[in-house]
Amino acid sequence: MAKIPDIAVLEPAAEQSRRRAAGVFVGKEVQPDLESLKARLREIRQHCRDNQGALQRQLEKTMGQFPEVKLTFAADVKEAAAYIKEVAGKAELASINKSSVVINELRPQLQASGLKTYIRYFKEFNDFEKRIEDYWDLPGLHERGLVESFDVSQTLSHLRSLQVRDYIAILGVNAVSAEDGSVFFLQHMANISKDLEQAKKIILVIGLEKVVKDREAALFQTRCMGIFGLESILLDLGPKDVERYDFDALAVLPRGQDRELHVLILDNGRSELLEDGYRDLFLCIDCRACARQCPIGMHLDIKEWVWSPKNYLFGFLQGWIPSTEASLHCGRCKMECPVDIDIPSLIWKAQFEHYARYGRSWRKRLLDNPEVLAKVGSWTAPLSNWAKGIPPFKVAMELVAGIHRKANLPSFNRQTLRNWFRGNRG
Amino acid sequence: MAEKIVYYAGCFANYYNPEIGKALIEVMKKSGIEVMFPEQKCCGMPMMANGNLKGAEKNVRFNFKSLALAASPGYDIITTCPSCNLMLRRESLAFFDTEEARFVSENIYDAGEYLMLLHRQGRLNTDFGKMPIKIFYHNPCHLKLQNITQEPVALLKLIPGLVVSRINTYCCGMGGSYGMKKNNYNLSAQIAKKVWGDVKASEADRVVTECGGCKLQIEAGTGIEAVHPLILLDEAYKSF
Repeated sequence: MAKIPDIAVLEPAAEQSRRRAAGVFVGKEVQPDLESLKARLREIRQHCRDNQGALQRQLEKTMGQFPEVKLTFAADVKEAAAYIKEVAGKAELASINKSSVVINELRPQLQASGLKTYIRYFKEFNDFEKRIEDYWDLPGLHERGLVESFDVSQTLSHLRSLQVRDYIAILGVNAVSAEDGSVFFLQHMANISKDLEQAKKIILVIGLEKVVKDREAALFQTRCMGIFGLESILLDLGPKDVERYDFDALAVLPRGQDRELHVLILDNGRSELLEDGYRDLFLCIDCRACARQCPIGMHLDIKEWVWSPKNYLFGFLQGWIPSTEASLHCGRCKMECPVDIDIPSLIWKAQFEHYARYGRSWRKRLLDNPEVLAKVGSWTAPLSNWAKGIPPFKVAMELVAGIHRKANLPSFNRQTLRNWFRGNRG
Repeated sequence: MAEKIVYYAGCFANYYNPEIGKALIEVMKKSGIEVMFPEQKCCGMPMMANGNLKGAEKNVRFNFKSLALAASPGYDIITTCPSCNLMLRRESLAFFDTEEARFVSENIYDAGEYLMLLHRQGRLNTDFGKMPIKIFYHNPCHLKLQNITQEPVALLKLIPGLVVSRINTYCCGMGGSYGMKKNNYNLSAQIAKKVWGDVKASEADRVVTECGGCKLQIEAGTGIEAVHPLILLDEAYKSF
């Protein structure tokens, strides 16, 4: 048996997609059937959601058979960070990939433990001009019948390397097969390939939802992550100087270095969500398609974590995001999700549970029944319409009800439709 | 399809812009359809948005009961507000699923969607007068979410001379009362900038949208009045 499981990296197959795009434009290529891709993906994800415990046990057994894999389980990020710090030993440098499990959940703990984490991804940009300001600038590939393809560009099946440098790589896995332990990553730059080749110690972080039945399912899921999430990558693409570090410039260690491969399975509240009415979050593949048309995403002050409406909800449920009240409830995330997760309803559910436990602000209570306000406004019109236009009223509305003084409030009608209807129809 | 429909107006058409409801009655009358207007309360979505689940439940149950009873002879239920439609058709079912709720959900239509259905069945009176105007159409998120994007445009195009010069499917950032709140006002305005800019640049004669919140947001940022498609249809019938 091999000493480690296969670790495969997928990349956009640019040449193939260029040909396909040309084919679509000249009408020679049959447009890909996104619905059948979604149907297969849902099948894979439902199996994962409904068999999570069994899949986890199977993966632990499978990984246990690879002699060079050091397997561990962490119930939460504190345990995970403590383990990683112990593995790192004296090493302070850590390369992380741009996965939500590592950046959103683990990174704060890793940094608190003294590790210096960098997304080397950003070092690959030299001159960068941001051309996508918001979702309306996106190319809309799927609407035009264009689907990017993703193929395996590299497979690591042993730990030997002549390029080893003294740092650790902490990589959030995109999918892993419970059956044979093969691990899949999607990369748009060369960061993961380089980390697999160069890092002295590699730590693969597997969120419970990343464990799927077999290799075919894991490969399919990772491809779908690219296909459905490609445009969301473009939205927040932009090098951040604080994240840059030139790992390539580190001295290559002498030959004969022992490299380490650690596999860390992370729960961090996931198994509780399965029991708590949030089971459908296990369907998520972290493609971030839900972010593609999210109107608020580009306008929130988010620097420290990977944005998506699903991550916003997930972070709230895990406790590292204090509120989900910035959600507009426009429903665009639901429309984009390839596995049909009803994120808006789950956000409401989470908010109701939060209010039931901690109560609601008195301002929210004031707006409990907008129809009562509308009735009063109509009964008292045109006085109410005059009042809503004068500055003292606007200031009072802002102070008392939290309605912005410049808000464009609707004008009340003295005669409601109901009254008119009664008068005209008896 | 029946010769009567059941109308759910929602708060916007009832308290703020009754002209929408009156236009619906006139438009339906042209095709020989009588509008019934049973007792109803706020759809509950604003309550849900403020965390008032109990209040929303009370209203939702009242509405389902009243609408299901009125529609029980086999009438369809029509709304003119996209958010009310979404709430009655889909969103409330995730929290308050009952037999009446499912009945309402299965028999409810947005007004534009319904009129196009009538048209496809050859039952829509198309005696529209000529209106040589350019339209900027803003598709509200809560219709887009239900895949109702083409029907409103196709319906407007039935008016002779009318050109839909721009179809906007971006979010306006209002989200009911979301954009009115002090905490969200600036964020909402940032989101709206794209729509405001597009409306101003379109040089359209009229701006059209179904949603009361979108209407307020567009008017706030452009100073240009936005009207419900039914208002235009009613005008077109009257100018025949």
